Amino acid sequence: MWTRIRDFDRMIQAMDLFNSRLGGVFENYQRPRLSAGTWGVTESGPRTNMYDTGENLEIRVEVPGIKKEDLSVKLQGNYLEIRGTRKAENPEGYTAHRVERGETSFTRSFTLPSEVDAGKVEASLKDGILTLILGKAEPAKPKQIVIS
Amino acid sequence: MSERQDVTVREEALSERNRQIPTVAPLVDIVENENEILLFADMPGVDKNNISINIDNGRLALSGVREVKPVGAVIWEEFADVEYRRTFSVPQSIDVAKVNAELKEGVLLLHLPKAESAKPRQIEIKVG
Repeated sequence: MWTRIRDFDRMIQAMDLFNSRLGGVFENYQRPRLSAGTWGVTESGPRTNMYDTGENLEIRVEVPGIKKEDLSVKLQGNYLEIRGTRKAENPEGYTAHRVERGETSFTRSFTLPSEVDAGKVEASLKDGILTLILGKAEPAKPKQIVIS
Repeated sequence: MSERQDVTVREEALSERNRQIPTVAPLVDIVENENEILLFADMPGVDKNNISINIDNGRLALSGVREVKPVGAVIWEEFADVEYRRTFSVPQSIDVAKVNAELKEGVLLLHLPKAESAKPRQIEIKVG
């Protein structure tokens, strides 16, 4: 018998633990874009996050092992395209025991939810995450309206 | 002589649950030559300080925590906080003291040098 709310809470906690040990399969199930069980760069393209900070749009892309030179970002109006290639980096003279990462190339494109100013775009690459900060065009920025 | 359990003292868990972040196995490449074994593991977004590598009793445990720090409003989020975790068996021939690691572009590279005694050796035949 669950006599207290804490017992119920404990069960939820156990389920959460179960889910996390399985690599969050249930969470992935709810996300339609992901192919099940694959993390990292896949043929369908890398995973992205998009945030809206009011002034800017921020896009983050998971690109482990891809060098700056092998990435290209194109912006045309509010259409954004990201391309990248990862070459196999198997060093000479080594025999492979396990190859899971492999080479890949991808293109992902988005229609941005608001107009951006092409002159105010910053791109940076750190720890395998590409971050794009796109400044919104003047009419798309939030405005404070004064009540008269 | 009561069998009732609900009156026994037990530690009270905080009703506010501490959120468990999901654990995933990073994709790896393992290659070997005469002198060393190299292990590449994809860990995008993991900071150097959040990686731990433990070798104990022939088991190599890798763990790296990624913190995605969201800004503003989320329009969509396909990746979030995660712990990359994977365990490998390390052959006895590895010189544990000389293992070193580097992190570049979200890829962890582990150098596992072989001990001197485990390297292949050419044996010369003396003319008697």
